[in-house]
Amino acid sequence: MGMDKNGILRETVREIYEYISENLYFNRPDLEIKGERFNAGLLMGLLTGLSQGKELIIGEPGLGKTTSAEYVCSLLYQFPLGTIWGSEVSGHPEQTEEKIIGRPDLGRLNQGEEVVVWSHFTLLPVKIVDEINRLPETKQSMILDGVDRGNWAYLNDAIINREYCLFATANYEDRGTNTIIAPLIDRFDVMVESKHPSANLAYLIGMKDSNGAALRHEALESEFQLVLTERMPYSARMEQIEGLCARFGQDLEKAAGIRTLSSADRETIRTQKGRIPLDLDSNAFLRLVLSELSFCYRLGQKRSHETCHEGCHFTEYYCNRVRNCISNRFPTSARVFSQALAWLLGDETVDVEHLKAVLPFVLAHRVQWKEDALAQREKEPRSDPLQIYMAKEAVKEMHRRYMEQGPQVKKALAVACRIMEGEAMEPVRGDHPLYWEIRRDLGEEVVE
Amino acid sequence: MNPFLDFRSVPCEQKEIPLDRIVRAKDKVMDHIVEGYLRLVEEEAKDLVWLVEHSRVVKAYNSAVETIRDIPFDQDDIEEFCAEMDASDKIPYMISGPAGIYVSALVNHAQEDHIVLKLKDYRRTFHFFGYRLPEGKTLILEGNSGDFIGAGLAGGRLVVKGSTGNWCGAGMTRGEILVIGYTGQNTGEWMRGGEIHVDGRIRGLGKRFFGGRIYQQGRLVAPDEPSRSI
Repeated sequence: MGMDKNGILRETVREIYEYISENLYFNRPDLEIKGERFNAGLLMGLLTGLSQGKELIIGEPGLGKTTSAEYVCSLLYQFPLGTIWGSEVSGHPEQTEEKIIGRPDLGRLNQGEEVVVWSHFTLLPVKIVDEINRLPETKQSMILDGVDRGNWAYLNDAIINREYCLFATANYEDRGTNTIIAPLIDRFDVMVESKHPSANLAYLIGMKDSNGAALRHEALESEFQLVLTERMPYSARMEQIEGLCARFGQDLEKAAGIRTLSSADRETIRTQKGRIPLDLDSNAFLRLVLSELSFCYRLGQKRSHETCHEGCHFTEYYCNRVRNCISNRFPTSARVFSQALAWLLGDETVDVEHLKAVLPFVLAHRVQWKEDALAQREKEPRSDPLQIYMAKEAVKEMHRRYMEQGPQVKKALAVACRIMEGEAMEPVRGDHPLYWEIRRDLGEEVVE
Repeated sequence: MNPFLDFRSVPCEQKEIPLDRIVRAKDKVMDHIVEGYLRLVEEEAKDLVWLVEHSRVVKAYNSAVETIRDIPFDQDDIEEFCAEMDASDKIPYMISGPAGIYVSALVNHAQEDHIVLKLKDYRRTFHFFGYRLPEGKTLILEGNSGDFIGAGLAGGRLVVKGSTGNWCGAGMTRGEILVIGYTGQNTGEWMRGGEIHVDGRIRGLGKRFFGGRIYQQGRLVAPDEPSRSI
């Protein structure tokens, strides 16, 4: 891709990454993609913001989970920090739908009218849920639909966010945390850890005063507040908000020299990245991963309440190490995030390298490992939390298999295409679950 | 619905030779390559210790070339051999120096002129890759590699998509080395000709430098850099 508008937008996004990593969120680069080194937490945060995605950020208290999300939201969506703080929802047991989504307008209710006062969290396109795992499991389902599609309903009213991204933070287990329910956790595109930055960077953080000051704008924050509390239709309100966002962007560029993205810029980026195709290798590799995480020779597919049978032939593959079946949201997240990464790196197609980089973060929260698989890896030396480490190792191993079998896998898929089109050919046979899935798609009975 | 349409353009003609015959032939080639390597190690490193000395390197290389002379191998076999060395019980002892020289001999005498080795898939670090790479050959190393990468390069083109250890390009006479990442100490030591281009940092340049040019991020750092440290 040339240095047209795409090039300028990419440059802006890279500047935002640089600005945050050099001024606001100090952390070590821990992810290398095509010779470039990034901090995975920050990179995935940016890709989430660009893709209208949903990110779960885990980590110890005080290691920048919420603040990193705030910086990304502020710079990608042109909101001053104060406005973002005012819209954040914090997870705690007493949280209610009225505080998170909206409440009845009590004055109008007294006059017999049912009017909803939407929360700032619902209205703004950037959404941060702090400590989501402190919400009791029963209350987590309140935000399921909103988290998934940006649809928020209260009483008989509803709004659908034009654009939105969501960041949720979660501390490691303590007395006040709850398990995040499976349907909610599956709705997150990626999970990352906000890591300790290292003793030396932590020292620098300690020696600085509040480092988000450049992203505050008290005058505009008051104007945002006014527009958000005024009673007006969603579309009219969003137009006014976009006007304020543009002013914040201009002021920020003037005062601190930081370029930001307008809503039209974000739309352009989404269109551009949506057009980046997956090349044949990444296409086949993703199919291989999907097959290992969903296949069961005997029972048709993985089911979390069913167990592998003794003497199964497929013990070498991941279907034998996981309990659940990977959801259909997984390939969507994998595509969207690898496209965003390819866009950011200026590549014309999504290749295996892009996919390999994002897959661990797309997988980590979606895989339920069997006890023995966990026990096997738990004590290994690592620099990631166990779930992410396991996902990284799994991607590495499946990639190795793809390296060995790639041409054969592509051939099997090509032959299947010809057979589907009516040619008389024999499907390619092989040991990997993907070959068996292909044969099933071709109508062969391969269940015992 | 045809879920395989994306793969319509992939050629999938049935080959005439049955798969098992190909596998058998491949296995035979691999057995010969492994056998040759084990013989080399036995000759060169009797106590499983191998010191890097110019004469030993030359002797090991000549011996490796002699060993592989009649084996009909190709790039796939070289890759497979590297994978075998990396994680297989077929090769009881892997000694990095002779292993790298042996692989270099394979690369230099392979049928293909353009060879890619995906080092990042391996756990081990390999040394001496690209040793004496001749003119007309291009070797691409994807991932980080060890010491003496491109040593004695003789006109070939070596691209390292990663970083190298110490003594990169030592004693090279002609050709070009391109390192996307970093290089270690003594980069270009005893260099007599050719060019080394390093995109990242050069930890240290060689002290004895007889010719050629070394560039770091496009900037000439040797022979013009008087202090010889970057």
